[in-house]
Amino acid sequence: MIVALIVFTIALLLSLMFVYLAVTEKDLLKAIVFSAGQSICYAILLHTMAAPDIVMTYLAVSVGLYSALLVFVVSKTERYEA
Amino acid sequence: MSKRVLALLTLITLSLLTSLLITILIGVKAPTSIRDLGKYYVANTIHEAASPEAVTAIVWDYRGLDTIYETTVLYMAIIGGLAISAISRKIQLKTRIGLTGIARTATRIIVLLIATIAFAIALHGHLTPGGGFPGGSAMAITAMLIVPVYTLQSLLERGVTSTRLVAARGLALTALGLIAILPVLRGLEAVTNQKFYPSHIAGMLISGSLWFYNFFEFLAVASGFAAVALYLSAPEELYREELRGVE
Repeated sequence: MIVALIVFTIALLLSLMFVYLAVTEKDLLKAIVFSAGQSICYAILLHTMAAPDIVMTYLAVSVGLYSALLVFVVSKTERYEA
Repeated sequence: MSKRVLALLTLITLSLLTSLLITILIGVKAPTSIRDLGKYYVANTIHEAASPEAVTAIVWDYRGLDTIYETTVLYMAIIGGLAISAISRKIQLKTRIGLTGIARTATRIIVLLIATIAFAIALHGHLTPGGGFPGGSAMAITAMLIVPVYTLQSLLERGVTSTRLVAARGLALTALGLIAILPVLRGLEAVTNQKFYPSHIAGMLISGSLWFYNFFEFLAVASGFAAVALYLSAPEELYREELRGVE
């Protein structure tokens, strides 16, 4: 129980860090990587909350599909935010 | 220390302090008992839906009609996206150079692993966590990996075009709709599971219609997202030429 709580807290703080980095980053490709890191933290959170079904969907969509789609979208515009 | 790191440290310290204050002052505690609704599902899904996986049973049996409509909404969204980005001509790219041999070999192994896991997630959806949607989205990632590494042209030459993928998606969705409607012919409600479909086939538990729903949803989601990936990876010049042709 206490281990799960510690993992939960660390994953929450890490996700906060990734969100901040993704929002303030000027390089859009790096921002996508930070966003994927935040998604991994959320997947760990969901797993400690014993929701394996949601972890499966969340990982496939938010780390895989969402990041890949955004990379394609960035390739159609400029890489750096002005 | 840069301004960004300082702001980040302040943010983390503030959130830690706030959560500590809330815990000490209000004393939030996680519930220790299970609600009656949860107990009902855990105890009865194995009898009523012939599935030990309560989540899949709820998604495709207890509230199956909701999920069918959700699938339709996603279908319409993808059709809308494709309508905006459709190219009338056949896509013919000039460059055929993908990444190096190291990347190609690694991708071949990874794609095989992802495809295996995607099939396992989808086909065991009625037994273990997972189901059609997670399996299908995992499968679509293989298309998104193949496009940058092996180039879009190599996929198109093997006959994997977005038109065919959309057609596959339409077929899978039609099959899904048929499975939902078939019980009506016998005078049962739509999306009926155990009263119409057998729970076992050749001694294997398939949980009635749940396995078929998972399988066709897997095909529909995988081909739909793969079609979107193919359209998005077409270079911007093609779209510009298309627009010029319209003018």
